[in-house]
Amino acid sequence: MNAVIQKDSLPGRVPLFDDVRPYLDRTQSERSLLLLVLHTWVLTQRILIRWSHDVQTVLQALILPPMFLASINLVFGNLVSAVSGHSALYGSVPMAALVGAVFGSTAGAICLMHERDEGLLARFWVLPVHRAADLLSRLAAEVVRIVATTALVMATGLALGLRFTQGIPAIGLWMSVPVAFGVAFAFLVTTLALYIVNTVLAESTGIVVALLFFFSTGFVPLAQYPSWLQPVVQHQPLSYAVEAMRGLSLGGPVLIPTIATLFWSAGIAVLCMYPMLMGYRHTCMR
Amino acid sequence: MTTWTVPRPKPSPLQQWWVLTIRVIAPTLRSGELAVAISLSAVFTASLYLPLKGIITTVVQGSYAQYVMPMIALQAVYFSAMSGALRSATDSVQEINLRFRAMPIAPMVPLAARMSGNVYRCATALATAVLCGYVIGFRFYRGVEYTFGFCLLVLMIGIALSLVGDLIGIVSKNPEATTHILLLPQLILGMLSVGILPPEQFPGWLQPVVRNQFYSQFVYALRALAGDATRSVAWPTWSVIGPALAWLAGIMLVAVQLYAYVLRRQR
Repeated sequence: MNAVIQKDSLPGRVPLFDDVRPYLDRTQSERSLLLLVLHTWVLTQRILIRWSHDVQTVLQALILPPMFLASINLVFGNLVSAVSGHSALYGSVPMAALVGAVFGSTAGAICLMHERDEGLLARFWVLPVHRAADLLSRLAAEVVRIVATTALVMATGLALGLRFTQGIPAIGLWMSVPVAFGVAFAFLVTTLALYIVNTVLAESTGIVVALLFFFSTGFVPLAQYPSWLQPVVQHQPLSYAVEAMRGLSLGGPVLIPTIATLFWSAGIAVLCMYPMLMGYRHTCMR
Repeated sequence: MTTWTVPRPKPSPLQQWWVLTIRVIAPTLRSGELAVAISLSAVFTASLYLPLKGIITTVVQGSYAQYVMPMIALQAVYFSAMSGALRSATDSVQEINLRFRAMPIAPMVPLAARMSGNVYRCATALATAVLCGYVIGFRFYRGVEYTFGFCLLVLMIGIALSLVGDLIGIVSKNPEATTHILLLPQLILGMLSVGILPPEQFPGWLQPVVRNQFYSQFVYALRALAGDATRSVAWPTWSVIGPALAWLAGIMLVAVQLYAYVLRRQR
């Protein structure tokens, strides 16, 4: 990556790859922070370009969540608004953004699995690339994807009738909740992808996301669930994230759900951190 | 120099079919695919029943369990069609189909084996879905022949969807993309049907589509076949079952034609 083409190749010949003696700039240590930033930037671009060529990822990140929101609103909007006392959009828009953020992470994980099987990860390991750059760039690409998904879902929500009443900073915070939640989930899915070999990953992630979705306060109000189920519904991570976002758009309690969301996200990330790093190292050195 | 001759083997297509069917079914027991399929039915039943019971009981007649059961059964066979499609895409991408074509195997045997695997998946899904339905309070009210009709119709729908899924798997050659290609219509068709909400709850401009799309017609037919405690559901006459059968025949016909086209082009 920091190989520089030498100018004085043979006269009259185009400096093709073979003609050029690669010159490696060793002034920076492979572990330097500057190289980490530069390499992460390049690799993030690489992943984003790769995703943009993949129909499945584009479908999953940009088309599916707004359509999901529109159909949820069409089918359940009126009924849920009637029992909750305010527009159902304040729950269903956060819901669609969060589900989109979480569900899209499987695309990144499948990309990782392919690149592992192709040997790209091992290749990065033996090249003078900062060791943390690849994993960091995957997380950075997830952030970009989640921001795009959330923005599209928010635009759909605004078109359907969602309104932000808490000012501009609240909108920024509203957008950052799916990012925090989605990145934590990406930690989890990446870790699983490093240990599971087959396509069970996509299906089991689908089941978990469906359960989180159907049993959260973003789908129907808490009182609609049977009383024995209510504590589970109330304290699961997706409900807290939805409540934080509801508070940031409609008004209401924000602090406690936000802290709980951060707690859940940080918890998932911390739990997965060590297995993820070990699994990654093992995969690269296979 | 002696010439060695071996009698040319005469494989029986029936035996080939059996071997290839076992090849499809055995991994579902080992890789946990069966467990995923069963838990999917349970998850789906719980997800549709528990949160929505309170809201939807106010807009439907009779019990919500009875109302939502056809939807649960249809979702179950749809998911088995999806995992069948995944299987067929995996076979295609690993080029095992190419290998089969080069071997002395009767042309339709690999397809027949995959479809037998799909029938097995659909039957498992149906059994799990009915079991889950019984847990939430669904019952068959019409007698044995109609119960049989219910199961048969669900299975036929499952086979038609599996055929379409298998075709998509062969064409796309991309296991992960296949699942997502099939997820989108499932989401849209499932939600915009009479399976969860009565058609009157949809906006007026959408109601004709909601009533007449094939998912809804299947739901009407299955509901009539299952019956109801309050006798509020129409008797399963030909005018109720007919449209569902017509849709089924149409889907089958189109799928078989496309299949023939794809197979001809591959040769």
